Amino acid sequence: MNIKALITSSFFLKSILATALFVLIFISGISYKHTSALKESSAQMLHAYEMQRELDNLIANLKDAEIGQRGYLITQDSSLLNPYFGSRSNAQKSLFILKKLSDQNEKQLNNIDSLDHLVSLRFAILSKSFTVAVNNPNAKESISESLKKGKKVMDDVRLHVERMNELETVHIKDSRIRLTNQISFTPLFTMLLLLFSIFVFIVAYLRINNDIEFFKKSNKELRLANEIKTQAEVIGSFGTWVWDLDSGNLTFSENHYSLLGLNFNPKDKHKSLDDFLKYVHKNDKQIVINESKHAFKNKKINDTFFRVVRADGALRYFHGTGKVISDLQGKKTYIGIYRDITEKQLRNIALKEKNAQLEESNKELSSFNYVASHDLQEPLRIIQTYISRIDQKEKNNLSEVGLSYFNRIRVSASRMQLLINDLLLFSRTNRIDKEFEKTDFNDSLQVATEELATIIEEKKASISSVDLPTLKVIPHQIQQLFINLIGNSLKYSKEDTAPVITITCEKVNATHYPFLKKGISEHYCKICFTDNGIGFEQQYAENVFILFKRLHHKTAYQGTGIGLSICKKIAENHSGFINATSTINIGTSINVFFPL
Amino acid sequence: MQNETIKIILADDDEDDRLFFIEAFEELRMKTEVTTVNDGNALMKKLDCSAEQLPHILFLDLNMPFKNGMECLKEIKNNPLLKNIAIAIYSTSSADTDVENTFVQGANVYIKKPSDFDQLKKILSVVVTTNWQYQTSGLDRSHFILSL
Repeated sequence: MNIKALITSSFFLKSILATALFVLIFISGISYKHTSALKESSAQMLHAYEMQRELDNLIANLKDAEIGQRGYLITQDSSLLNPYFGSRSNAQKSLFILKKLSDQNEKQLNNIDSLDHLVSLRFAILSKSFTVAVNNPNAKESISESLKKGKKVMDDVRLHVERMNELETVHIKDSRIRLTNQISFTPLFTMLLLLFSIFVFIVAYLRINNDIEFFKKSNKELRLANEIKTQAEVIGSFGTWVWDLDSGNLTFSENHYSLLGLNFNPKDKHKSLDDFLKYVHKNDKQIVINESKHAFKNKKINDTFFRVVRADGALRYFHGTGKVISDLQGKKTYIGIYRDITEKQLRNIALKEKNAQLEESNKELSSFNYVASHDLQEPLRIIQTYISRIDQKEKNNLSEVGLSYFNRIRVSASRMQLLINDLLLFSRTNRIDKEFEKTDFNDSLQVATEELATIIEEKKASISSVDLPTLKVIPHQIQQLFINLIGNSLKYSKEDTAPVITITCEKVNATHYPFLKKGISEHYCKICFTDNGIGFEQQYAENVFILFKRLHHKTAYQGTGIGLSICKKIAENHSGFINATSTINIGTSINVFFPL
Repeated sequence: MQNETIKIILADDDEDDRLFFIEAFEELRMKTEVTTVNDGNALMKKLDCSAEQLPHILFLDLNMPFKNGMECLKEIKNNPLLKNIAIAIYSTSSADTDVENTFVQGANVYIKKPSDFDQLKKILSVVVTTNWQYQTSGLDRSHFILSL
């Protein structure tokens, strides 16, 4: 957007400049034209005035000649004849000047020719009457005749001159009108153009000012952005480079030098890939070289991982990537970024090692499972089968003591069987690869009661439950949970009382239970199994969930101390919790919390 | 069927199990001919030699030296001459993977070795009296593990 604004702005400025130049040239042209017109007009007027003056001169000369002659005729005083003698040449001179002035005006030239003719005629008459007067001063008749004739010619001359004068007056008038028009139009036009120029200049000024403000702002932002970039590079421990594909110039950012353990020195800048390669680990140089070749060829930079040996000798892990950008002129530039990922890499390596260890121990665990399920059970099963053989065939051959020992063997063998089975169940109760499915807990309860049907009937137990929810769980683990908890209630029931087991369910807020705050959810589904069994002291409430912890002597109640541990594991597999509250001889409540 | 002698082979490396097996059939008083071998190699050799006298039912332990039960099962099911023998897996293990794999490989039934002799007798009598050739439930995963 900014770049676009700049371009439009410079285009705008260019057009302003062009307009201004055009206006100035136009104004100069117009002014020149007007000045020339003015000059021409005044020259024409001057010319006309000169014509009139010369015509007046001519008349004056003729009059001088006439006056001189008349004076002589009257007084016979020859000194009065002086103007008469000079006037002829003066008149010729005037005519000559007039001709010269009118040498482009055909009409006036014709007029001057006829004037010349009239003037010559006048002088001829003057000279005739003068000759008559000198030779025969008394020939009054003849003189009077000449004077009359002279007057008539003189009248013609006057008329003629008057006509010529009029012609010039018209000229003057025309010129004056033209001049007036031009002069009255020129200032208005100039003024308008000037006003327009001023407007254009003001607009240009405002625009330039605006642009300057914009540049100032952009500059400020740019400086800030640069500062942010520099700081970001330091904080994020990464460096950037710019590779101009046309000039081949490679520029590295300031932090590049700190990443390599160098001090930034403007005089000693890195300018090429080789400068950088000096610090790349010798086994990884080829990776970087190949990648830069690949990048040039395909105009694409892949993620590259390589090691760097810093100036201080420390080995660091780097991750580099970049892209090609084109500016508005279509010039292509590579920009790239690389990060020091040593810490992350080291953590990854450690994590990988730990993972490998974990996998190893998981493998061991599953092979232990197999050993337990197969190898350990096999001899036990053989023992038990032999026990059943003796029980059937050889029992009668045993003494009383032998029979008692035999029974102890049988009890121990079945106890071992129970232990192995429970232990296996416990080790298989994990969440690896287990599918979470929407499960109706009412169904799980149903399965559990069916599984425990024999003992429920035997003990005449009653089990009641509210409507249970449907949650996303591992179905068979929830069944196991119900079997174990109900089984426990049945197992630890009072001898003289039929077991009563109540299952309730409610939605609870995690804030109401301190231990739930560690959990993943704000709300939990609390399922409570309450019985009227023998109970235990509340101080053991934590112990019951610990593997192999038993609260009773093993002969008193058959159990392995694994059942509740399995329940705890199941709850944890579902990101849930389990706890117990109990009172001796009243009963026990086991609460299981499932996150909602 | 009862008039014909049912030929049975048990492949099991455990001497006690072989003994219980033989004794159980003795006590069952059925017209059976029980042969035992103690590893997978011996089993395959036996089957190859008695091409015309193939057993009706083969009880196969999974955990045996040299060639285990799983390998024997695959070999038998891939052999056109042997693939029709009814196969009962006879194992201590009830690991899910073992059950799953043998079912997929086409065993007819999975027996978890009982720890009571009477139980053993009952199971064996059921397996022997079931006509596996017509037993379609052998294809049903939920009835694959024999339980009484």
